[in-house]
This record gives sequence, C-alpha cells and structure tokens, in this order.
Amino acid sequence: MKRLGMIALAAVLTVGSLAGCRGGDNTDNSKGSSGPKSDVGITKEPCPKSEHKDRGCIYLGIISDLTVGPFHVLAVPITDAQKAFWKRVNAQGGIGGYDIDAETYVRDNKYNPQTHNEAYQEMKGKVLALAQSLGSPTTAAILPDMKQNNVIAAPAAWTSAYAFEDNILESGANYCIESMNAVDYANETFKPKTVMAVHLAGDYGDDAAAGAKIAAEKLGMTFINVKTDSGTDKQAGAVTAIVTQKPDLVILTTGPADAAAIVGGAAQRGFKGRFIGTSPSWNQGLLATAAAPALKALYLQSSPWKSWASDTPGHKAMREALPGVTPNDGYTSGWVWSYPLLAALKKAQADGDLTRAGLLKAAKSLTKVDYEGMLPDGAGNYAGGADGIFRQSLIYNPTVGAGGPNEIKLEKDYFTGSVAKDYKLDKPCYEKL
Amino acid sequence: MRNRPLLRTSYNQELALLDTTSKKVAVGILLAVGAALPWLVEDQLLQLIGLACVTAIGAIGLNIVTGYAGQVSLGHAFFLAIGAYTAAAIAGDPDARTIGFGVQEILIWLPAAGLVAAVAGVLVAPLATRLRGLYLAIVTLGLVFIGGHVINEWSELTGGPGIGRQPPAPKLFGYDLNASDAFLTRDQKLYLLMLVLLVLAALAARNLARSRVGRAFTAIRDRDIAAGVMGVNLARYKTIAFGVSSFYAGCAGALLYVGVGYFDPTTFNLLLSVQYIAMVLIGGAGTVSGAILGAFLITLLPRLIREVPSFLPFISNSPAESPNAYQLETVLYGVLIIVFLIFEPRGLFGIWIRLRTYWKAWPFSY
Repeated sequence: MKRLGMIALAAVLTVGSLAGCRGGDNTDNSKGSSGPKSDVGITKEPCPKSEHKDRGCIYLGIISDLTVGPFHVLAVPITDAQKAFWKRVNAQGGIGGYDIDAETYVRDNKYNPQTHNEAYQEMKGKVLALAQSLGSPTTAAILPDMKQNNVIAAPAAWTSAYAFEDNILESGANYCIESMNAVDYANETFKPKTVMAVHLAGDYGDDAAAGAKIAAEKLGMTFINVKTDSGTDKQAGAVTAIVTQKPDLVILTTGPADAAAIVGGAAQRGFKGRFIGTSPSWNQGLLATAAAPALKALYLQSSPWKSWASDTPGHKAMREALPGVTPNDGYTSGWVWSYPLLAALKKAQADGDLTRAGLLKAAKSLTKVDYEGMLPDGAGNYAGGADGIFRQSLIYNPTVGAGGPNEIKLEKDYFTGSVAKDYKLDKPCYEKL
Repeated sequence: MRNRPLLRTSYNQELALLDTTSKKVAVGILLAVGAALPWLVEDQLLQLIGLACVTAIGAIGLNIVTGYAGQVSLGHAFFLAIGAYTAAAIAGDPDARTIGFGVQEILIWLPAAGLVAAVAGVLVAPLATRLRGLYLAIVTLGLVFIGGHVINEWSELTGGPGIGRQPPAPKLFGYDLNASDAFLTRDQKLYLLMLVLLVLAALAARNLARSRVGRAFTAIRDRDIAAGVMGVNLARYKTIAFGVSSFYAGCAGALLYVGVGYFDPTTFNLLLSVQYIAMVLIGGAGTVSGAILGAFLITLLPRLIREVPSFLPFISNSPAESPNAYQLETVLYGVLIIVFLIFEPRGLFGIWIRLRTYWKAWPFSY
C-alpha cells in the first residue's frame, strides 16, 4: 500500500508540471483580417448544409424538449420553426457575410436540468449563442455559466424572472402580466367578484397565479389560490374547489388535457363561471373531446401574441417558410422568439464586434426589435431592464372560428390592462404568491 | 511461488486488498491517469467524468445492499434525494427563497447528508427483515413515490417542481472549490474532489466487503435461512446493509448536482432508481469495480450516443427523423440490460474476468 501511495504521489507531481497542455474551452478562434471581430462559434468555412459557399458560418445551439419531456408536443414545432427562421435569414443574405447554422447543434434536454447542462457544456465551445433554451429549471442550470462566458439565449418560456437576466432575450408579455391582463379584461366585460387561480406548481403556474392575485387584489376582488398536479386523473380536487367555492372567474395555467378535464368536470357539476386559460393551456385538439361543449360555453384564452393564421408580414413569412405543416402555435412561438436574437446579431455586426461579449453588449443595448408586425411597436426593449418589459397581451376565443382557415376569434386585440400598466416588476412574480 | 494467481499460502494473502502485483500496478496506473486527467482533458468532459465518479459512489452504495447483501432495493432515488436536500439545506444561502443555513464547509455537509440518509435507511431496514425478493423491491418502490410526493410539495426546501434549487457549493477549510482561480478551474477542482471521494468510498466498500460484515452479507444473499442457522443475525446485518448503502447514497446525492449547479425535485423518480439498478447489473453485481464500471458506462452513454450521428450519417440528430440518436439511446438502455442478463450475468466485471483468464494462460487459452 505504501509503495502504491508513493507511485501515485510521483505521478501526481509529474502531471502537475504538465499543466496547460490540454485544449481550452474556447479553441475556435477565427479572427479574420477583415470583417467584424469574432471569437467563439464563428468560422470562415461555410456552414455544413449551406448553399452559399462564399460565406462564413455562425453557429447557434438549440437545447429543447424533443423526445420524452412534458413539453415535447410544443417543443418540436418550436424547434422546426426556428430552423426555418434562420434558413430564411440565410436566404435573405445572412448576416454580414455569414450564414446562420441552427441545425448542427440541436440537442434534447428531456426537460432535465442535468441533461440540459450536459448538452450545453458539450456545445458551449462551438456556438456563438443559443437560439433556444427551453424550460426554466433547465435554463437556470446553465445561467451562471452563460453569464460567466457572455453567452446569450432566446428562451422558450415566459417566466417573469427573465426580465432580470441580461443574457436572456425574452419576447412578449410574461405569464404574470398575461394573467393580470386577463383579470383586467374580465373586470371590464363580466365584472367578477371572486377570482380563482387553478395552476400547476412551478414558475409557469405560480407566475400566472401571482399575476392573477396581484390584479385581483388591486381591483378589489377576492382571490383564491388552488394548486393542482399534472394529469387528467388528478383534477378532481381542483374541480371540487371550483364548484364548492363558486368563483366568477377561473384563471387556468395547466396543460391542455388538464384544462379540458377541469373545465368539463366543473361544467358537468353545474358551474357557470368563466375560465381564462394562458396560452399553453390550450390545444385545438380539445374541441374533439367530450369537454368541447363546456369549453365552447365557458372558455377564453389569453395569449402573448397572435395565433398562426394572423395577417402580419411575420406570420405570412412563417407560413411560407413552413409549408405543409399542421398549424400549431408552437411554430408561431418559435418564430417570434427568434427575432430578438436576429436583431442582436445584426446590431453586433453593425458594431463590428461579433464576439460573445460584443453580442451581449449589442443585445443589452436594444431598445426595440422588429418583429415584422408579430408584436406591436415597443416590444423588445432590453435596454430598459425590468422596467422595459412588454405589457400587452390578447384575448382569444379559441372555440369559435373567424372566417379564414385555422383562424380563431379575437376577443380583444393587444391591450395593456390598468394593473399591468402601473405594475412595477421588482422581483420575479412567482415569489409573491 | 509468491505471485501465482489463486495460490494462497496464508489467510492474509486471501484477504489482501490487492492480491497480485499486476493488480497493484493496474490500480496504480488507473489512479495516476485519474489524477492526471484535469490537465489532459477539457473542462466540459471533466465535469462529466466527475459526475460519473459521484454516480459511482451511489452505485457502490446500491451494490452493498443489492449486490453483496442480496436485498433488491428500488428505493435508491429516495436516499439520493435525502442526501441532496440535506446537503443543499445545510450549505444553502440563508437569504434565498429555499431553506438554507449557509454552512458551506464540505466536511460538515457531506457527512451530514450521508448520516441523515443512513438514519432513513436504518428506519426502512425493518421492512427488509420482514420481506425479501420481489416483495422488498415493491415496498422500496413505495418509498420512491412517498419521497417524490414530499419533495414535490415541500417547496420551501426543494423550490418545487419547475423551479428547483441550487446544490451545495463546496468549500474545503475555507478554500472555495466552486469557483475558478489562478491554479485550477472550477471543473478541475470539483473533478479532483469527486475522484478523491470515489477512491475513499471504493476503498471503504472493499474493506467492508472483505470483513466479517461483508461475509455475513454474502451469506445472507446466498441463502438467508442457512445464514441464520449459522448464527448470522439477519435483522442486524440487513439493517447494517441498508444503513451503509443509504450513507453512500446520501453522500452521492449531496454531490451529484454540484457540477451541474441546479436540480429539480422531479429528478428523483423511479427512473433514477432503475438507472442505478442498471448500473449495478451491467457493471456486475457484488463487486466494487463492477459498480464503478457500470456507473461510468451509464453516465457516459448518452454523451457517446450523441456523438454517433457524426460517425454514422444515417442516424439523425433531429428528433423528427427516424432513426435518430434519441431513439438509439432509449433503446440501448433496455438492450444493454437484457443482453447482459442473458449473456453475461456477471456484468462488465464478468467480461473482465474472462479476458483475464484468457490472457492468464496465453497462448494456451483453451
């Protein structure tokens, strides 16, 4: 044993002197004599699948819930839309002599922080930024490292915590604001006296419920908080809470199947109040379930942006870029979320600094982002920090068609409610529930 | 005569930790390579290998109760969770949203995590003295569900599902292991910490296995009635097995997410327990080195598979196309378990033994 210890010790001492001969994390250094400065994730060689052989390549990573996680039904269209988005950017000339590649580094996170971090570590030295980082616990796992290395990311979540992160380029109203606006809308149209939030745990449900609570208190309504679990067989408690406490308005933040179980169950037991669900609670497939009559009678949906079939240049471009797909607002979300990163890249390129630090600086300095009409003017104010958050959302009635194919009835166009307008976001909403 | 394999001239030889020169040399080389890795490998790989080291500690723990003592436990995730949250609570930031006491000294939170988990293990052990085999497996399955419910609901401690909390940030005698400095990066420090702890844990487990206690475990595994007749106190040794195993699980749980920097309560589900069972089975039940091999294989497998599409272009990286790397990964777990149980029940360790016997008599290997 003694001898063994000596050998090990000697070995450690020898290798101690070898320090510095391993590859670093940021080996991809392709500083050109001309063109903008660059460090990680940019090559002079064309992208692997690019048709423009004269252009260099900017690599963007995507870490999403692609196979077994709870959001893969949405995440796959989000990812496809983003690939299409960057392809369109390339077709329109790329960015400063570079094509964008968002296909080489696409990884699955299984909605698990550990897997997410593994995928991130693996691609970290090869990508300039992340075109998508899906989920908040997963993104939280990589945020410290992102901050350290100046990596920016477009999120795939609407939590209010992102208003406080420079490295995250969030889009649209967060859950908290969206629910405030929903309560405000209800206050104007059918004057509820009691509001109940039925929500999943975690920052999706908690954030929306906190928004509903803040709005209800401000508008002088009684607020009831009901937490529920994911799974159609676990909604009995929520249904009982609804029919016994008889709120006038229920703010729903669950998955689509849960929403159908709750609305259907409550209606069956004679509940006549209204439901407003946040956008991830709805899925067009629910109209084929047994809960359809109840949903038609009671359900409205709040949304951070307009749905698939809307008439804006951005929506049109998206539909053209994604021919033949089954319409799904996952595509819309993926498309919308990509604009801020594009704006940041363009700004950084104009500043002549496509390094990570340069890109972060460009992102931080954005006061508005051109969403091609998908979001109204004033969206994408990252220079404003938490005060610059976007406060407009919409209300849809997804059960009623509106003329065109896949179009749904818009109840109220982009609006800022009275509560959301004056609300000062000083910390993530979910901490206030 | 001294170095003839299988020829023993004294009990000391039989019981030696490393009984042949070649084993000593091999272990020495492995240790040296392990210690040299931080200066040879990139940080991101180092983080993964460090994770494999910690996972190996957990697998050794499960191997003590399942491999040596023969008590099949599906409750390992429960004990990992207890360790993870004990450590996170002790070392956590007192001002954060989740419970934290701000004691970052690893010499305090690591043993504490192990001890709390061990106490839980000892409390569970009476079940094992009343039940065995399939029934014990199903009862320990219940633990995972109860534990899962508690940690999902107790959001003051765990942050709640979808939010999660930070793992402990280790400091050793005030030296911050969780941040890079002029000498070593964060990942290098953490890897070295994990490696040292794995070596300690492996040595301790090996020593336990070749002691009186270890022989009692083996006797219980092989035939508990016979062991009882021989005078082995079944209740006592099963309790020890569960206690020690849970201690390992607690320590592993405490360290498991240090590298990642974040964890979510939904992680501690049945799948995690099953992964540990897979490590023990694929590695080789009832051997320390087998558990380590299994843990490394299962931890590194997803990463290896993600590299496959660059070698085999017909396997896609995109989940929309088939066949893709994700399907391959899911299928491979199952296939590995089935193949090992049918063709090599002794696991990776068994393959190693075959190789060894082949070369021992080479070139007369028949």
